[in-house]
Amino acid sequence: MITAEWKPIPELVGYLRGHQKVLLLGCATCVAECAAGGEREVETLAPLLRMALAKEGSPVEIITGTLERQCEPEFIEPFVPAAEGVDAIMSLACGIGMQLLAERFPQIAFYPGVNTTSLSLREAPGLWTTRCAACGDCVLGETFGLCPVSRCAKSLLNGPCGGTRTSGSCEISEDTPCIWNLIVERAKARGQLDRLSAVRRPKDWSNSPAGGPKRMLREDLRP
Amino acid sequence: MSLKASTNLEKVLAAGQFALTAEIGPPRGPDAEVVAKKAALLKGLADAYNITDNQTAVVRMSSIAAAKLVLDAGLEPVMQMTCRDRNRIAMQSDLLGASALGLRNVLAISGDHQRAGAGGKLKGHPGAKGVYDVDSMQLLAILKGMRDEGLQASGDELTSRPAFFIGAAWTPLGPPKEFRVTRLAKKIAAGADFIQTQAVYDVKAFAQQLAQAHDQGLTEKAAILPGIIVPRSAGMLTYMHNNVPGVVVPAELTARLKGASDPKAEGIKVTVELIQAVRELPGVKGVHLQAIEAEELLREIIPAAGLTPRPQV
Amino acid sequence: MAAPANKFQPRITVLYCRQCLAADAQPFEGRRPGQGFAAQLVLLPCSSKMQVHNLMRILEKGADGLQLVACPDNACQHLVGSMRAGKRLAYAQGLLQQAGLEPERLGLARGQGLSLESITEMAGQRAEAVRPLGPNPLKGVSS
Repeated sequence: MITAEWKPIPELVGYLRGHQKVLLLGCATCVAECAAGGEREVETLAPLLRMALAKEGSPVEIITGTLERQCEPEFIEPFVPAAEGVDAIMSLACGIGMQLLAERFPQIAFYPGVNTTSLSLREAPGLWTTRCAACGDCVLGETFGLCPVSRCAKSLLNGPCGGTRTSGSCEISEDTPCIWNLIVERAKARGQLDRLSAVRRPKDWSNSPAGGPKRMLREDLRP
Repeated sequence: MSLKASTNLEKVLAAGQFALTAEIGPPRGPDAEVVAKKAALLKGLADAYNITDNQTAVVRMSSIAAAKLVLDAGLEPVMQMTCRDRNRIAMQSDLLGASALGLRNVLAISGDHQRAGAGGKLKGHPGAKGVYDVDSMQLLAILKGMRDEGLQASGDELTSRPAFFIGAAWTPLGPPKEFRVTRLAKKIAAGADFIQTQAVYDVKAFAQQLAQAHDQGLTEKAAILPGIIVPRSAGMLTYMHNNVPGVVVPAELTARLKGASDPKAEGIKVTVELIQAVRELPGVKGVHLQAIEAEELLREIIPAAGLTPRPQV
Repeated sequence: MAAPANKFQPRITVLYCRQCLAADAQPFEGRRPGQGFAAQLVLLPCSSKMQVHNLMRILEKGADGLQLVACPDNACQHLVGSMRAGKRLAYAQGLLQQAGLEPERLGLARGQGLSLESITEMAGQRAEAVRPLGPNPLKGVSS
């Protein structure tokens, strides 16, 4: 899923200070799964912001809603009447949903409530860890189904650097496994360590965000 | 045997002499005289001197500039280049520039991650955007391609071929241990002519990994120089054992420094013994000595190990 | 000096777990006066039914403090419900702190075999914790 996390509350308070009426909109898809922007989080954040703003003497009316999917135009339409009475919208959706919302209401001040952070897996309750970097050139076929592009801090393609700790963790954190350590373990378990012995050439990053904004076109699906 | 870059380091190794490299860390300021001072302090002690590239992800004078200053002081530098701060365009451009300045020894490494850097003493730049466009293996291949084929990574031709003596790092005792020899083999296949290792204190464990490399013929294909960081206290050894990945310090060694009345003098003795021990191992062609923030100790250690004067080749 | 009649009388909302009550105690919801405070008791089937947004809503509605009464960590009928409730309460306190509000307005007491009197006393503990803070400044500000 796409994961996101709340921006620091003082930053959110700063955005809303001086507004009269704000629509705070969540999304019931990815950001709900990662407990950042679902209905529960909307209904937690709204009173918190109302209280913080009221306490500093600049009360703001905050109305709330949660869309099934903020990244699909048809789910936004039912909120058009609510949006028409507000002078700002704050979204707890991922950056994709946020932009569709901002595009639908270009005349209204728009603020992000979350930072979109990663493409992650809910590994355990309350724990989300990265699985994909959307690099546009998948290597999982050569790395035994474990992604070194997103899960190695240096996106190494030819094995572990010298930073693997004795525990098998990455040099950046004891909580982050060295993915190359795991790739080697899996290769060994499959009896195919030799498949990791060839030198992999530099990656073509042109199909990743580094290559510029993506434009994916399928003529057969066009109207 | 035809030489690849005819650097002093390459010639010493080609002559079958036991090679010695040391390290000069560039300053956190623009002071050419600091580099010159360190160079003067270490002149004549080693065959070549590694110039680190923003080690621990702390901003320092660029390794290219510092290497040039060292070269001008009459010492031979090994310019280190990490994959953290440059994409392949900047790397190749800097390598051409380095070559134009007369820098011929280049060591390609991944580099400490910007978030893992600074070691707690300095702020560093944990918010920096790491590049890691290519990894150290691919940088080795780029170096080799530039030198041997006169080609850029893309295949575009260079107007002439830069001569490089190409180095790589090896962490023989890091997990997954069973892959570390393979990784060494990959680095050599990619282009490494010489190898400097992570600090060795556990000679027995190192010897086991090295023996595998030796059996695979790797020690013939590239010159292996085990790294030794001069220990100055038991605390330093404990710190490295616990915090520096790939550094394994036997408990007896830490105890020895702890029990010493003069730990610094004992550290010098230990270093000399370690040099002698690794020198005995088949396939070892030299040592890479580091006296972090205490370079003056090398003036004592290197003669004590019987490694002066350095061979004239 | 303020006359005793004007003295701050904290209004404490108590969310209490049904399982904390003594077997012979009658479940009760509603207002219970205490010494220098008033408690509003709300019954929960398990303390884990409490969500962070409930806490925010209760504070926003003007309660001066909130006391969660839960079973001991290891005596929850749903095994981990009481432990989770404690974690959620701590999380909510952290949010209040970040927002520049007073985390002391939220509290937790644990017990078993409790009478309504002892639950009211637990509300009293929260009342004493919030007394130095004064009334919830949001009283009457939000709807």
